[in-house]
Amino acid sequence: MFTMLEWFGFGFNQFGQITPIVSGKEKILLPQKIQTCNEFTEEVTENKMKLTKSHAEQAEAEETRARDCGGQPEATESRATESNWRARVSENRGLERSNLYCEADNTIRVSWSRRATLHRAKHSTCSKSHGDKGGICLYGFCSSSCGQSICLCTPKLHDCLDAMISENYLVVKFKDKIESWNIEEEENNPIWSMDITPSFMGDLPLAPGGYVVAKPPFYKSINMPISAKKLTLGEEHVVLLSTDGTVYTWGLGSHGQLGHGTLESQLDPLAVEALHGLKMADVSAGSWHSVCISDGGDIYIWGWNESGQLGLPSRCLQIRDNQRDSGEADMTDIERTEGNMHEEDSLAIFISIQAFPALLDVPGGIEFIKMSCGSRHTAAVTCDGDLYTWGWGKYGQLGHDSIQSVDQPKRVEYFAKQQFYVQHVVCGAWNTFAQVSKRDPPKK
Amino acid sequence: MSSLWEKVRRTLPSSEVEFVLDFSEKVDQSVIFLLNKAKQLLYSDEKTAECLQTSEAILDYSWEKLNTGTWRDVDKEWRRVYSFGCLYKAASLCQTEAPGNVYQALKICDMGLLMGASIMDNILGRVVKVLVNEKAVKKRSTEEEEKESFNIKKQKTECWLLPDIRPEVEVLKIHKPSMEHFRKKFLIPEQPIIIEGIIEHWPAFKEHQWSIKYLREVAGCRTVPVELGLRYTDEEWSQTLMTVNDFIDKHIINQEKYGIGYLAQHQLFDQVPELKQDIRIPDYCCLGKGDEEEITINAWIGPAGTISPIHQDPQQNFLAQVVGRKYIRLYSPDETERLYPHKTQLLSNTSQVQVENPDLDQFPDFANATFQECILYPGEVLFIPRSYWHYVRSLDISFSVSFWWS
Repeated sequence: MFTMLEWFGFGFNQFGQITPIVSGKEKILLPQKIQTCNEFTEEVTENKMKLTKSHAEQAEAEETRARDCGGQPEATESRATESNWRARVSENRGLERSNLYCEADNTIRVSWSRRATLHRAKHSTCSKSHGDKGGICLYGFCSSSCGQSICLCTPKLHDCLDAMISENYLVVKFKDKIESWNIEEEENNPIWSMDITPSFMGDLPLAPGGYVVAKPPFYKSINMPISAKKLTLGEEHVVLLSTDGTVYTWGLGSHGQLGHGTLESQLDPLAVEALHGLKMADVSAGSWHSVCISDGGDIYIWGWNESGQLGLPSRCLQIRDNQRDSGEADMTDIERTEGNMHEEDSLAIFISIQAFPALLDVPGGIEFIKMSCGSRHTAAVTCDGDLYTWGWGKYGQLGHDSIQSVDQPKRVEYFAKQQFYVQHVVCGAWNTFAQVSKRDPPKK
Repeated sequence: MSSLWEKVRRTLPSSEVEFVLDFSEKVDQSVIFLLNKAKQLLYSDEKTAECLQTSEAILDYSWEKLNTGTWRDVDKEWRRVYSFGCLYKAASLCQTEAPGNVYQALKICDMGLLMGASIMDNILGRVVKVLVNEKAVKKRSTEEEEKESFNIKKQKTECWLLPDIRPEVEVLKIHKPSMEHFRKKFLIPEQPIIIEGIIEHWPAFKEHQWSIKYLREVAGCRTVPVELGLRYTDEEWSQTLMTVNDFIDKHIINQEKYGIGYLAQHQLFDQVPELKQDIRIPDYCCLGKGDEEEITINAWIGPAGTISPIHQDPQQNFLAQVVGRKYIRLYSPDETERLYPHKTQLLSNTSQVQVENPDLDQFPDFANATFQECILYPGEVLFIPRSYWHYVRSLDISFSVSFWWS
């Protein structure tokens, strides 16, 4: 019996990285099934493009875009020709079956303007261009197609095991090496490469003796003998989880993201003393905050709380709430409500920086098993399949059908109501992707 | 009679083609794409909502870049991107006539001026000029003004509450020394001195006598950074943004209710050109190495009771007092050990000791530190040599201007 797994996404979609853009869909406020290469049905015949009826709408949208960009019909044609770097995906045979295999064993990696879907070699009858060798499909920004691409793959990425993406680079891990590629430039060779032994344990960004980053110089060494289980990167700091459950942090500390109780930077890994004695099972880093989950399912969190991403009371949210509709408030309205707020809440405590780990305050009985961080939001999965999100919400990345930011963990009701069991969560800078299965039997 | 949009439109290059977007490779292609898209939408005149949407994404992304690393490390290109985002957003808001939009647009231009970098020969300054002249900008009634004058007069510190200045430690005063005299006797030996008679000719004392009323007229609806809390070394200290009117309302008039606020160390004169015309750079600054553009001019505006803890700055300083009095204490760099500077990177230029209530158990040697002190009056300029430790407390509502030069 297969478990049908699907990916849903919500949040920033300006470049069509979740679903193709139609007007008004630059932000997605409720979880939507993401577009995958399997659903894009298109036949490539020689140098012509033929689109099937079911995707006529999509084609129309593309044509309009092509016109807006000064009419570049060549763009669609060049996509049809085979080149080393760009190839069109086409497959609509055995759609259901390949969905099952494909969705079950793909993974999502997200940068600000793109989303990458990894198709691993062992399970793949998913598409013509991937064949049975696997590959990477990129969705989102593509400079040559007026800002949106459906799919971008290269035969050289067959047999890929893992990947990381940034705005400009794609870092890919194979059995025996790690390479980095320039995303926008048409190149036949990676711009950087390092050999690894097949026995190396550790997911990206971990690498032998250090870790990789998706920008030059691509590799950074760790000069301390730590047995690393997982490593995660913030905008200006690093969080590492060792095999014995200790959390180490280093980098810039000006937003309290290192958790050592100060705003000082650290050049080398330093264990977070406040967590001494607690064994951590997972770690994740946002741009300026750090999160970890203990063996017992508790979340500890620290760093910048300017949008409530720590789940602690945030001053900015009080002021934003009082402004009601963002952007339209008259200056005098703001004055009045701020004045009132000050009188009533003179005892209210707001936290903008939390330099020591704090235990996340959640309703009793909730145990978390997985989490991921965007630039200023956090998403976590509970052991019974619920997804909770909190922090910055302006682009709908919290999935609560709103653009409000939230400073305490809130369940994404969509999945609960639709009887979806959340298996996994991956965040991009301003969006969130959840992998779900159907609950059977349904939960009350 | 032109509409608001027509006036703003005239500040922009007349055609889309002339609107040049030029960035280094540091700026991601995806952002360049949005910058071009927003420009297209802006010039199409009627895609306001879409243009706003796109400019928000540009603003939010560049804001994140501005908050990465130390402020010094932030690439100027990202500050330029931020300014373009502000320009697009402010201009789009002006496409619709609505009362709140002028204020909103003005605030956004100010954000661009505060955090961004100059674009298109200071186009944001030109847009501001259009906006401040709009009728939507409210004027206060004479009744309100009179009530306010009364409240302000109450804040003057009475003479019996002033700190006692002992003559043997009082900073000396000199009247308008010659360049050579100043250089030889004070600049080279790094000796503090109060200079009289060199700023009385400023328009700030004459045609545009600076006052709360004048400040409201010339900069009331402008957004400025304000420091909240007693000292920047306190835990509860924070920085925030508000309009000058708000700042005056809350932290100068109603200080008891809202607490201390200080418009401190802000380059207000770049933001409000009218105020720049009210001051002059002291002639003695040309004894320095750099040229005029390299001199940093800061405004310091606040109620009675604002405190700057003992600290040192890496440049020479002329502190010109325009309104109100300030109590100032000075310690030579030789006394550094006795001032117990903070050990952290962030505050290594600041002493841990609270000058007017020192903890001598924790900082015993502070009692042995020799110092000079003074009350600085309107019309006087204090020369604070580079690296000289100084502590400042305002005794009245105070407007000061500092000139940092090398």
